[in-house]
Amino acid sequence: MNVSLRWLREFVDVPDDATPAELADALAGLGHEVEGYEILEPRFRGVVVGRVDGIAAHPNADKIRVCQVDTGEESLEIICGAWNFETGAVVPVAVPGSVLGEDFEITRREIRGVVSNGMICSAQELGLGEDHEGIMVLDDRLPIGADFANLVELPDVIFDLKITPNRPDAMSMWGLARDLAALWGIPVTIPEITLPAGGDAMAVDVTIEAPEGCRRFVGREIDGIALGASPLWMQLRLERAGVRAISNVVDVSNYVMLELGQPTHVFDRAKLAGERIVVRWAAEGETLVTLDGVERRLSTEDLVVADAVRPSALAGTMGGEDSEVSATTSDVFIEGASWDPPTVLRMSRRHNLRSEASARFERNVDPNLGLIAVNRVAQLILETAGGVLREGHADAHPHPAKPWTVTLHPRDVGRLLGVDIPVDVIRRALEGLDLETVGDDELIVTVPTNRPDLTRPADLIEEVARLYGFDNIPETLPSGHGGGLTPEQRNLRRLRWVMRAAGFHEAQTFSFHGHDELEMLALAEGDPRRNGIEVKNPLREEESLLRTTILVGLLRSLRYNIGHGIRNVGLFEIGRVFFNDDTPEQGVVPHQPVQLGFAAAGSLAPPAIDQPQRPVDAFDATAVWRLIVDQMGLRDAAVTQAEISGLHPGRGAEVSVGGSPVGFVGELHPVAARAFGLAGRVIVGELDVDQLVAPQGLWEFEEPSVFPPVEFDLSFDVGGLPAARVLHQAREAIGNRAESVRVFDEFVTDGQRSLAIRVTMRAADRTMTAEEMGAARRAVIQAVEREGASLRGG
Amino acid sequence: MNDLIDQLEELRKAAPDRITAASDLSDLQRAESELIGKRSPVAAMRRTLGTLDDDSRPRVGSAINDVTSDIAGQIARRRAELERLAEDELLRADRVDVTLERVTDPVGMQHILTTTIDEVVDIFTALGYRVADGPEVETAYYNFDALNTPPDHPARAESDTLYVDYGEPADEMLLRTQTSPMQARYMETHDPPVYVVVPGRVFRSDTLDPTHSPVFHQVEGLAVDEHITFADLKGTLAHFAREFFGPGLRSKLIPHFFPFTEPSAEMHVSCFACDGSGCRVCSNTGWIELVGCGMVDPNVLEAVGYDPQTLTGFAFGIGVERLALVRHGINHIRHFFDNDVRVLRQFT
Repeated sequence: MNVSLRWLREFVDVPDDATPAELADALAGLGHEVEGYEILEPRFRGVVVGRVDGIAAHPNADKIRVCQVDTGEESLEIICGAWNFETGAVVPVAVPGSVLGEDFEITRREIRGVVSNGMICSAQELGLGEDHEGIMVLDDRLPIGADFANLVELPDVIFDLKITPNRPDAMSMWGLARDLAALWGIPVTIPEITLPAGGDAMAVDVTIEAPEGCRRFVGREIDGIALGASPLWMQLRLERAGVRAISNVVDVSNYVMLELGQPTHVFDRAKLAGERIVVRWAAEGETLVTLDGVERRLSTEDLVVADAVRPSALAGTMGGEDSEVSATTSDVFIEGASWDPPTVLRMSRRHNLRSEASARFERNVDPNLGLIAVNRVAQLILETAGGVLREGHADAHPHPAKPWTVTLHPRDVGRLLGVDIPVDVIRRALEGLDLETVGDDELIVTVPTNRPDLTRPADLIEEVARLYGFDNIPETLPSGHGGGLTPEQRNLRRLRWVMRAAGFHEAQTFSFHGHDELEMLALAEGDPRRNGIEVKNPLREEESLLRTTILVGLLRSLRYNIGHGIRNVGLFEIGRVFFNDDTPEQGVVPHQPVQLGFAAAGSLAPPAIDQPQRPVDAFDATAVWRLIVDQMGLRDAAVTQAEISGLHPGRGAEVSVGGSPVGFVGELHPVAARAFGLAGRVIVGELDVDQLVAPQGLWEFEEPSVFPPVEFDLSFDVGGLPAARVLHQAREAIGNRAESVRVFDEFVTDGQRSLAIRVTMRAADRTMTAEEMGAARRAVIQAVEREGASLRGG
Repeated sequence: MNDLIDQLEELRKAAPDRITAASDLSDLQRAESELIGKRSPVAAMRRTLGTLDDDSRPRVGSAINDVTSDIAGQIARRRAELERLAEDELLRADRVDVTLERVTDPVGMQHILTTTIDEVVDIFTALGYRVADGPEVETAYYNFDALNTPPDHPARAESDTLYVDYGEPADEMLLRTQTSPMQARYMETHDPPVYVVVPGRVFRSDTLDPTHSPVFHQVEGLAVDEHITFADLKGTLAHFAREFFGPGLRSKLIPHFFPFTEPSAEMHVSCFACDGSGCRVCSNTGWIELVGCGMVDPNVLEAVGYDPQTLTGFAFGIGVERLALVRHGINHIRHFFDNDVRVLRQFT
């Protein structure tokens, strides 16, 4: 909301020496956020209002004329090249000695043999607009000789305020002035509203058929207006408030809304069929063309101001084109109503129609403001458009609003704010806002109907705090309580570290994906990840589905990087995924576990001078798992070859801890990789984080042996037997003397797959003998051969 | 006998030249054989000792031993010297250009949003706060109703909030628009006093622009106890701001409005980039809006069964992206979500 300081000064005596910055601080300190302010200065000095009393031809030129201009103090002969005015025109005159722009001083000077004593100015010359086709022709009712700057409302400061939704009253000069006056402890002045004695009785009959939507409806009528332009000062004030000037009648209505906070609407009475106004719910299928020229299809949830036949306006939102005032309008009906805020909110939302009026009604306009505003509108219409006021006013008032009381214990003010504020300071603050207070130990506070936000003690304490000044409240720290991270939270930080150590950057991707993106993963029918939760109102197709896997976002990011010439990328992300299944958690919300996803393309290690770059493959994926297992201290971890939906059928693994599945790692299915535009092998993995960060319990110390190790190698023809099985059997066969058992070679001869393993053993209490080693060797061979392998050369 | 002694002296005098002349270890080996080996003159002399008389034998024997050990010592020193020279030569040949790099195990970077969240969380855990986490798909009850938000509040509109198709229509399942639903969830499951921060992901129906994103992060804070005041809120947030941005930072609270706090405020901090004199970071205002906060509305306490007569509390919500944007001068919020490796690598 743009607020003019000049306008505000009409309501409150702003200290003359207050700088714009200080005023901005004062407004912000009251809770009215200042998004900025603009200082407007006249781009001229000494320009006055003059009247052209006579025009004569220039003796030596035909394109310019000699004007006799009355400037109040004297009559000046001024030469003018503009032809857009005649005798009697009221114009801005730069008299000798006045200055235009920064330093263009106007002097008496001869133009083709005739002395010109000043200059009649165009809007452009005065810095008031682009118009330089002709001079500015002013309202002929302006006082001759008056200071022109003052007439164009200069200088001024325009504050751009953001009014919070709890303050309907503050969307007006009056309301803001009331806050400032309370802060400074001075009174507020409101414009004096006097209306002439009325003429005929009111013609229009007002009926409220929808009392749940309309709390009060006030109306007045004026006959015989003349539609025209509003006065310059009013146009300027509206323009600076961001409202377009249209006509005297419409401008007055907007002006009063900005001034008092009550939107009003002016109907052409002749267009109200049956001279009736009925506030009712629309019938399904009724239509109304609103002032913006759009035909609105109405429903029974729309509240309308109708005449005897059809809707004339959307209540509190926008007027209708049919009953709009126009050049042919003679008689008008002025509406000042108080609408049910949720009703207006729903209507403006349904019709996607936000107006200055709806913004105020949504916030809850004081039901007792309508009559004041309608009177003010009537007063200003009579002043600017003429006409005769009809006697009395309509007032349909189904729910009279009365002030209410709130009991405030002064000690609760200190209890909540942490500072002792004397009761007289509390009382002064509240009374400054037009609240009445009675009592001492217990304040009975009467709240006027313009502050619907004040219904409880806490609301009043906030008012006291605002006026006392947040800056004057001390800073204290509550005494400490035991805090800190849980073991799971600490482990989560470690898990992130492990993934970074594995060469992956941490990513953050959106929690949505599109249907087509999910399809790109080529998941099997029945995969639970295909059953995502739909977003009902997505802004884009990529946001239409909640993610069931972190991989889509990561693969999208891989593609982004590769598209930017970065070929080697490893990313991981830890975040929630959402499943559309029937096992809701925490009451009713869907199952939404935290998962770790990772994906890499290209190579995880940069090329080195002495080793070729190795592209990622399935073993890098399992290595990530191995690193997680070792660093997180997971016990009983296992990798099982498996065909995982979305993964390369021969290069995927299910991983588990303590027999419970944790997720999968492996190579992305080439079909999916191609769909994401990724060439070469892509590794991925997705793991359940809860199981990875679960506390593992204390580990037990093992004294390192001081005796030397012994080693032996064995080769087996294994066929399809997984290496993990071979190693497991070997380890079991040796028991606690196995220091390490690993595969150091895999080879195929004559179609027969073989694995070479190296066993390292060490005893805790002695150097192992050749006999013991031989026995261990035999035990390993036996155990592995039991799985169907056979010792090579054995 | 004196002939023998003289011969020995001759040998001793001649030895250094021969030893020094040995330019490598094998030549030194030969020199050793020549000078004190089995076929050397010294060895020959030792073999004649038995022919000497009893008077001469000890003297000559001792002189032989003297000369032998003297020469052996010289050879040992020369050997050590030659070995050192040989190793030096070897090492010279082994030189590499150490400005060539081999980074075999590059370590990834932590996302700046995670780092920022961890920093914020650590400041509050040091003040005695616990850390909680909550669901991102929420019910309208926890996201709005329990937070004193009226049924027709504009924030509930589809233009602000993303709704999802799950469960019963009455649950109005949505993507939480703030971390504040955890206020109610945490108080429902924990007895007072409550000191907790809740970092997490939140969602709005926004299109991506330099400062808005449909997905972003907040850290919610909640303190409810028997004596919590607005002054405590001020002190806590001022402490946070100084810890996060530096000790010279000034902060102030400006009145604001949120349905679930009363009084409500917004914390502004003096611009750390210009110290309040006005610059691009603070849009020339000298101040940066950072945190929405306030005293927990009595209705919120009542909704979870806490007694507002005995308990008061404060709550705040810190925008994580905003902290990171302003602190690092990042010009567009998309840089947090594009995951461009060239950007991720900067997240130290």
